[in-house]
Amino acid sequence: MKDSVEKLRNIGISAHIDAGKTTLTERILYYTRRIHAIHDVKGKDGVGATMDFMELEKERGITITSAATYCEWNDHEINIIDTPGHVDFTIEVERSLRVLDGAILVLCAVGGVQSQSITVDRQMARYHVPCIAFINKCDRNGANPFRVIEQLKNRLDHNAVAMQIPIGLEANFEGVIDLVSMKAIYFDGFAGENVIVREIPENMMPMALQYREELIDAASMFSDELLEAAIEGDIPSSLLISSIRKAVLSRRLTPVLMGSAYKNKGVQPLLDAVTWFLPSPADVSSQALDLDEEGKQVALSPAAQARLVSFAFKLEDGPFGQLTYLRVYQGKISKGDMISNIRTGKKVKIGRLVRMHADQMEDIDAIFPGYIGALFGIDCASGDTFVSPGCNLTMTSMYVPNPVISLAIIPRDNNAQIHLTKALNRFTKEDPTFKAHVNENTGETIISGMGELHLEVYVERMRREYGAQVSTGMPKVAYRETASKRVEFNYTHKKQTGGAGQFARIAGFMEPVAGEDFVFENQITGGAIPTQYIPSCEKGFKKCLTKSPRTKYPITGIKITINDGQSHAVDSSDMAFQAAARGAFVEAYAKAKPILMEPIMKVVVETPNQFQGAVMGSLNQRRGIIFGTQEEGPTCVVEAQVPLAEMFGYSTVLRSSTQGQAQFTMEFLAYRQVPERIEEELVKRSSGEKRDVA
Amino acid sequence: MWHRRAVEQRSGFTETAGGEQSGRTPRLTGGGRDVQRGSAEVICLKERNFAMLKTDLIFRNPLRLLGHESEDIVAEGEFGAVLAGAGVGKTAFVVQLALDSALRNRHVLHVSMNEPITKVSVWYKEVFSLLAQQYKIDQMNALWDSMLPYRFIMTFKVEGFSVPKLQERLTDLMAQQIFDPQMIIIDGMPFSESVRASLSDLKAFIRNNSMSAWFSVRTHRHEPAGPEGLPFCLSPVADMFDVIIRLQPEGEDVHIDVLKGKRPSGQAGLLRLDPSTMLIKTSY
Repeated sequence: MKDSVEKLRNIGISAHIDAGKTTLTERILYYTRRIHAIHDVKGKDGVGATMDFMELEKERGITITSAATYCEWNDHEINIIDTPGHVDFTIEVERSLRVLDGAILVLCAVGGVQSQSITVDRQMARYHVPCIAFINKCDRNGANPFRVIEQLKNRLDHNAVAMQIPIGLEANFEGVIDLVSMKAIYFDGFAGENVIVREIPENMMPMALQYREELIDAASMFSDELLEAAIEGDIPSSLLISSIRKAVLSRRLTPVLMGSAYKNKGVQPLLDAVTWFLPSPADVSSQALDLDEEGKQVALSPAAQARLVSFAFKLEDGPFGQLTYLRVYQGKISKGDMISNIRTGKKVKIGRLVRMHADQMEDIDAIFPGYIGALFGIDCASGDTFVSPGCNLTMTSMYVPNPVISLAIIPRDNNAQIHLTKALNRFTKEDPTFKAHVNENTGETIISGMGELHLEVYVERMRREYGAQVSTGMPKVAYRETASKRVEFNYTHKKQTGGAGQFARIAGFMEPVAGEDFVFENQITGGAIPTQYIPSCEKGFKKCLTKSPRTKYPITGIKITINDGQSHAVDSSDMAFQAAARGAFVEAYAKAKPILMEPIMKVVVETPNQFQGAVMGSLNQRRGIIFGTQEEGPTCVVEAQVPLAEMFGYSTVLRSSTQGQAQFTMEFLAYRQVPERIEEELVKRSSGEKRDVA
Repeated sequence: MWHRRAVEQRSGFTETAGGEQSGRTPRLTGGGRDVQRGSAEVICLKERNFAMLKTDLIFRNPLRLLGHESEDIVAEGEFGAVLAGAGVGKTAFVVQLALDSALRNRHVLHVSMNEPITKVSVWYKEVFSLLAQQYKIDQMNALWDSMLPYRFIMTFKVEGFSVPKLQERLTDLMAQQIFDPQMIIIDGMPFSESVRASLSDLKAFIRNNSMSAWFSVRTHRHEPAGPEGLPFCLSPVADMFDVIIRLQPEGEDVHIDVLKGKRPSGQAGLLRLDPSTMLIKTSY
């Protein structure tokens, strides 16, 4: 770890499922000599890729948790985070991008820009992460990197420009032509470790010249110096690289490289590109909020002598206690330092500092600014800011989507119950999109998450890592209720049954509000309700939102305004006003025409053309609105919006109706009103459950 | 459904239930004449307001000036074309035609060449929000949601597009009762003499299925105009089109000229595209 950040790169590798992120990371680690043998994601040797160290990841061939590692290339240190492709584990991508300075967007040369690439791109834009693109799998049948570049331009609105062109494609893919140095690059040796640079084959020269001109045209838009050099006809490589870098840092240009990670081709030039084009922590402007000055934005500088500002982005529970992943933005953390958690105000002493390499760790003495490391023995939550004592700066937290699907889990015996509690404690702490609670009516433990796969993986981890033998119920959708019309209320709570009496009157109105869960407005004038009881009213209303009296689902999108009331000098109390608020809510809500809302998912199915009809039929049967179909050669993309309640078990249906050749992704889109017919059924079912419990 | 039917009888709409956007809403013919009449005459005020909002939006649409008040500009079985050079506003114009139709609960299939679904959707969303701003509609999201089931986007690569393929896809959609369009918009199809045969197949197809079709045709400034001011590429098949509209940039404005079909009369009939929003407006 160095104290200079100019030669440091914090990068993420993100892409659609199966685009080859983990395979690419494995090659990067091999060529940078972090590992000494290459293992495939689902290789026959059963070892699995370095970054997929969890047993479940190896078995399923998917990445579940993001894993961090680091390597060195051309005197640059590169911290890499490999992220999952499945949208169910989107929080892993979200929190990685929050702390990264740059990213490699991996695309499949056959599949091109797929649905998850679009999601990842949106996440990158959210955190202003500059990226370079790598078109992988150029050795596959149907590979066409130029089509993918067009898709980058059209679908993702990237100003994409080829830095390389392929020498041969599909089975004849041999190497790439570098358009900066105008040399042909081949990869030789047992694992492509020998990079051989030759002259460009004569037959490819015109094509290379044409694409180089396009590259210079694109880059010269951001550099007058390059434009002048281009007019004079003498462009030094360093000038071209610096001009491209300038444009990449401002997210105005996306250089595109290509290769085949699996066939060990094109990875070393990609590493060169990472050091050339992606930003160092010094190139990125990080901001914190100064709590002493009402949240004013303060720019952070990656200087070791400055006051410490660091961000905890990931927690992991291991055999040695909680491991907290940190990114240091300013100042440095050393062993023995005292740091303070801005959220809780607690001060802690740093015991052990480590640097991660997948599941292995290396003890270090300090984490320098711009670096990512981990520390042991600190109790905190994901998204906490740690600073030097006396400093009152906080980083903005990351975006955490709400869970959309729930599942009841039942432990087999008492022993399993104990293990289950431990597992749930850990998982809910590690993953903010995974929630657990006990249903008051049924006593069942309910877990909620982002999709079927997400919950399935956690249930499997409970069994394997904690030995908690549990059975699962049917997945349940996280429905919500809201009011659909404005109603007034005027409720008096009066109780005189011996002892101190209770008296409180609240009047006002309830109305639907968009984009907020709950809004409370106090329009009381003249002290009709004494000021000290206003929070009691709010508390009383808030309590009612957790469960609708009609369906027991949570209530959202409600605004309560109180404008009148009455109190009694002796009988009014905090409790009386809370009770009055509850009474007013129940009275008003019944009249406010409550409606039930359900989560709607954006579903994207990629299928061979011949199954297009079957796929559309299957989505249509699920109350889906099909938006459109997009034909691209032999494959077709069907986009639809489908209620989550109808999507359970869809993967099996899709597999059987398309001979296993189609794949789909889905992500939460919005909450919409449930059709009347289904709402009636749900209300009936809910009252049935109530009766059973009684 | 009974309360909704009451609304339909009054407004001539088939209204989807709030949120029940199955895309399988019954198709209407003749302004709702075949809608079953329910026995109850209860009116749901919320839905009536919503229906009134739509009626208002449709009525205020300047496109009405190009056709009759309650009819489409092109009738069933007919072809219409919108001609303009690159970037003048063909797509914005056809999207407004489609939105007008979808607001009247008529199913529109938008076929686009080379553009991804997302990009076409963005066109609709943009034009719709501009319309909503212009007419100060406060229930924009609800109106947009109610309109969505009436629109279906199909995109093809130009080289992969053919009329038989479109017919095959359409037949599939209709057979599975997924989508039964009444209007087809084909944006970006290249025109030449060779398309005559497939166009006449398509015309027969849309006539048999009671649909109409609009095409956007790109013109080139350097190409000499053919007879009646039609572009060279369209001349060989111009007779197959019942309505031809040209978008003509003049000064800072884009004029909407009717080259073929019913011409708007008088001052009220002068239409233009507002170059800042690409919305159709009257000239006065």
